[in-house]
Amino acid sequence: MSRAQILTIALALCACITGSASAAQSVSISTVFTPLRLGAPTTVSLGFQISAPAGQVPSPLTGVDFHYPSNLGIATSGLGVASCAVAELEAHGASACPPNSQMGSGNAFVEIPVGGEIDTEKGNIALVAGPSQNGYIRLLVAATGFSPVAARVVMPSLLEAGDLKLTVPLVESLPGAPYLSVVRVQVTLGGNLTYYERRHGKLVPYRPKSVVLPKTCPRGGFRFSATFSFLDGTQAEPRRTVACPRGRR
Amino acid sequence: MRFARWARGFDRSTGRTAVLAALAIAVAAMGIPPARAAAARTLNVRDEGKLRFITSDGSELIDEGDAAGTLPGNLRAYFVYNGEPTVSARFTIEGHSGSISGKAKARLSNPNSSEPSFRGAFSITGASGRYAHARGSGELFGVFIRRGEHKYWLTVQAIGKITY
Repeated sequence: MSRAQILTIALALCACITGSASAAQSVSISTVFTPLRLGAPTTVSLGFQISAPAGQVPSPLTGVDFHYPSNLGIATSGLGVASCAVAELEAHGASACPPNSQMGSGNAFVEIPVGGEIDTEKGNIALVAGPSQNGYIRLLVAATGFSPVAARVVMPSLLEAGDLKLTVPLVESLPGAPYLSVVRVQVTLGGNLTYYERRHGKLVPYRPKSVVLPKTCPRGGFRFSATFSFLDGTQAEPRRTVACPRGRR
Repeated sequence: MRFARWARGFDRSTGRTAVLAALAIAVAAMGIPPARAAAARTLNVRDEGKLRFITSDGSELIDEGDAAGTLPGNLRAYFVYNGEPTVSARFTIEGHSGSISGKAKARLSNPNSSEPSFRGAFSITGASGRYAHARGSGELFGVFIRRGEHKYWLTVQAIGKITY
């Protein structure tokens, strides 16, 4: 075999390895406004699904940079009017936080490779307002799983105009075993929350003001996108558009 | 010596008239318009308002209420807060003698609370009636209150100067 043939084969192998690395996992995101009515209060449901080739587990997620329309009324909503300390949330979960700091909830599914098989675990997610930082709203994302791996991770993030960045910590399934791989997450901002206000010295429950949609829909709809980063060094950038309600722009 | 005598005998009123005429000619030659008949007035403004929530449009809150102080009237504010620490607003005060519109930028602190406060600056962008051609600027202070289901309002205080 000539040198040129060896070089050609080597280059072809490199190309195949690069291609399979970038195609290791694919990500799709979902966004739902309930109700989808311009100018009206709504709950915002966000989700993503990470898929790996059959029989494989996706590379562990290390970060998400989520982009949303900056004129969604998240900051002007009545959500997150108290804050929860990160240490409190880590130690005791969202139930230990002030009710007025709860901003939403959801669930997550992770896959754990165990002895050649893939086990799936469902965990709960809580969205909680944390102490603000440099004038930014701090959103704490707490994920708690119980079985087979009991763990709670708190991911602090800053809510900037149209941008939310999360650093996802690596969680070991067992000492020395592979890290957990997140495969599906669904969270809802707002929704069925109960806050308390003080009236004549008594605490009275109320429903906080939800996120309000803009009165006009951007041309082409509300655009969402995200950059997902994985431990294997790959990234995925899925996009999603929520179409404008019929007859409205 | 002859000039000094002429100067001493020069009538004072004649002199003033001559000087003014010369100045008017000079100003006209330079293309500077003559001063307006009415002198501009400057007001030290200190106004406060408690604005009730009217509606919202995404990240913009529209609040309205009575402004009390130097320039009383109905105050309508369009307050934009999208999560960045800098908030902005447009406002209009409709009074008996005219209206004043302006814009403001402020820095909001303690956003994860039921009463985030903000502090910044405002400037006048337009006016009508008595305050037509008004200009001015000053400081703005406020609190974005969201203490309960029906406790959702803005309190604002503006301190500054306007000239009209």
